[in-house]
Amino acid sequence: MTPSRRSFLMGAAALSAAVATPEMVRAAAALDAVAATKADWALATQDIEGDIARRTMRLVHGRAPAGLQGALYRNGPAKFRRPGGSATHWFDGDGMMRAFRIQDGQATLEARFADTPKRRTETELGAVVTPGFGTKGDARARIGSNDDANAANTAVMVAGDQIWALWEAGSPLALSASDLSTQGFVTLRDDLKGMPFQAHPRYASDGSIWNVGSAGGQAVIWHLRPDRSLSDAQVVPLPRASYMHDFTATDRHVILVLQPWVFATHAMPVTAGLAWRPEMGTQVLVLDKDDLSKRRLYELPGFFHFHLGDAWAERDGAIRFDVAASADPRFAVDGARVLVDGHGVVPGDPAKLALITLRPDGRADMTYSDVVGEFPKADPRRAGLKRSLTAHTSGETRGRPLPTGLAVHDWDSGRSHAFEFGMHQVVEEAVFVPKPGATAERDAWLVGPSVNLKEGRTELHVFDVARVEDGPVATWQADTALPAGFHGVWAG
Amino acid sequence: MKTVAAIAPVLALAASLAAAPAFAADLTVAFPSAAPQGQIMVAVFNSEANYGGEGQPAQVAMLDAAAGQTSVTFDGLPDGDYAVRAFHDLNGDGKMNTNPFGMPVEPFAFSNNAVGNMGPASWERAKFAAAGVTTQSIDLK
Repeated sequence: MTPSRRSFLMGAAALSAAVATPEMVRAAAALDAVAATKADWALATQDIEGDIARRTMRLVHGRAPAGLQGALYRNGPAKFRRPGGSATHWFDGDGMMRAFRIQDGQATLEARFADTPKRRTETELGAVVTPGFGTKGDARARIGSNDDANAANTAVMVAGDQIWALWEAGSPLALSASDLSTQGFVTLRDDLKGMPFQAHPRYASDGSIWNVGSAGGQAVIWHLRPDRSLSDAQVVPLPRASYMHDFTATDRHVILVLQPWVFATHAMPVTAGLAWRPEMGTQVLVLDKDDLSKRRLYELPGFFHFHLGDAWAERDGAIRFDVAASADPRFAVDGARVLVDGHGVVPGDPAKLALITLRPDGRADMTYSDVVGEFPKADPRRAGLKRSLTAHTSGETRGRPLPTGLAVHDWDSGRSHAFEFGMHQVVEEAVFVPKPGATAERDAWLVGPSVNLKEGRTELHVFDVARVEDGPVATWQADTALPAGFHGVWAG
Repeated sequence: MKTVAAIAPVLALAASLAAAPAFAADLTVAFPSAAPQGQIMVAVFNSEANYGGEGQPAQVAMLDAAAGQTSVTFDGLPDGDYAVRAFHDLNGDGKMNTNPFGMPVEPFAFSNNAVGNMGPASWERAKFAAAGVTTQSIDLK
């Protein structure tokens, strides 16, 4: 029998199916996207090939505010695609630390990749092989411990002359604050090596730091002294094994928000093992900082979130905090893949700000605002204490990823003030920087970058919290563009 | 010819019995960067099944790292494929200590400095051929 064209093609298809995994196809598509169908925002998830040496940024708008001195350290993924296979999810790119330094009215920018075992392995192989939050990885992965998969790409905290690059499921990675070089993973106590230290530490008014690390149905509650040494770490059981990216705290409570996105199966990547069960509702577990065994559990209708605002207790004992809430985790599963694809439609609606109240009688309620917002930040002078303002990114529209503006919401008055840059800017999280010697909540700046898509440049903006709607009081522009990052911290 | 065929298995058996002295490996396992603390537990396996936990190691050793001992030589191993598992018992309690979530907190490693994929390094990654004088230099992490 003569081989027919059809049987030859069938054989070729079978062969290609054997060698081309869906992840490889996606990787190839991501590389092709560079040339073909890239969205207007694709610069915000581009790859950076090497470290960015310190360079002066050019003041292109306004003037540098007197008294604003310090560094904005920001972390975020900056390398997704490799020839032999790519990250397929926004959260799985290699962490790159950015330092925006403002001194004497001048601004500089530098950026350096975290030198992680993951990055070393994948550089050697020319392929992204490590499983992550949404990237499947493959059999070539080298993971002897969770820190071998640590992308060190999510957030950052200051620790003396170090900064710690934070991820979600592993140790902090210490970098030099002066040149961003990698020094190594931080073990806070020998018997706690490798315990997860999440990306959203909460700063208490006594200078100490609280953080969590979760593993299924239990969490470690970290308490660090002001010098970042370990004061205490306790493991607490959780009422459910919920995906938790953030937590919050008042001056007296640690608050864990357990959304109905629960670990249902052991699978990699992380998203593959999670099931969305909105009928379970969202639980809020409140622990007493002085005695973590003292706990209260509140029930709310189910919602999805990544980020919470700092919490506070009212005089009547009610606890309040804000959240950037969504109806479901479709962004976390699929939207974040669109970002790495560089084109496509993000499913679901952008997150909206909501205020949660936990009452002393055990009731809880949640009030949604109409405000589209993510990356909530608040006055560090009021961490854990009564406040009224939340600064946040804004302007995200249905279908299109990434914010285009910056806003301040006042929970007391219900009023919001926003500045919209327009679709040509991707706006990143801005941190709250108190003005020197001032105490009022509005006496502060917001400092944060954007990616100017039109000009292909990263910009650094300073806003006055009291007049955010007026736009930046100063804007510096770099001679290059970095992809949009996640979270930052101000070192004054 | 028939005679030769009959004695061939006997010759083969004799050859295999003689193999230990005639084709022997001296395997040195060294941990040059180990801290001078506690003890290093070393297990040498000669098959995938045994390495995978189905059988016993071919050789074991306990190195007194606190006294500066950072290598061990196993003389006269039959030539063949081997893999090594090692861990550094820093506090000398005889156990591989773990953190509260069950992850090891004491350094461990495998031959070839192989790393696993969410578990111990596989036999395929850790195996090496031992013949004559063979050295495995391992970094405990």
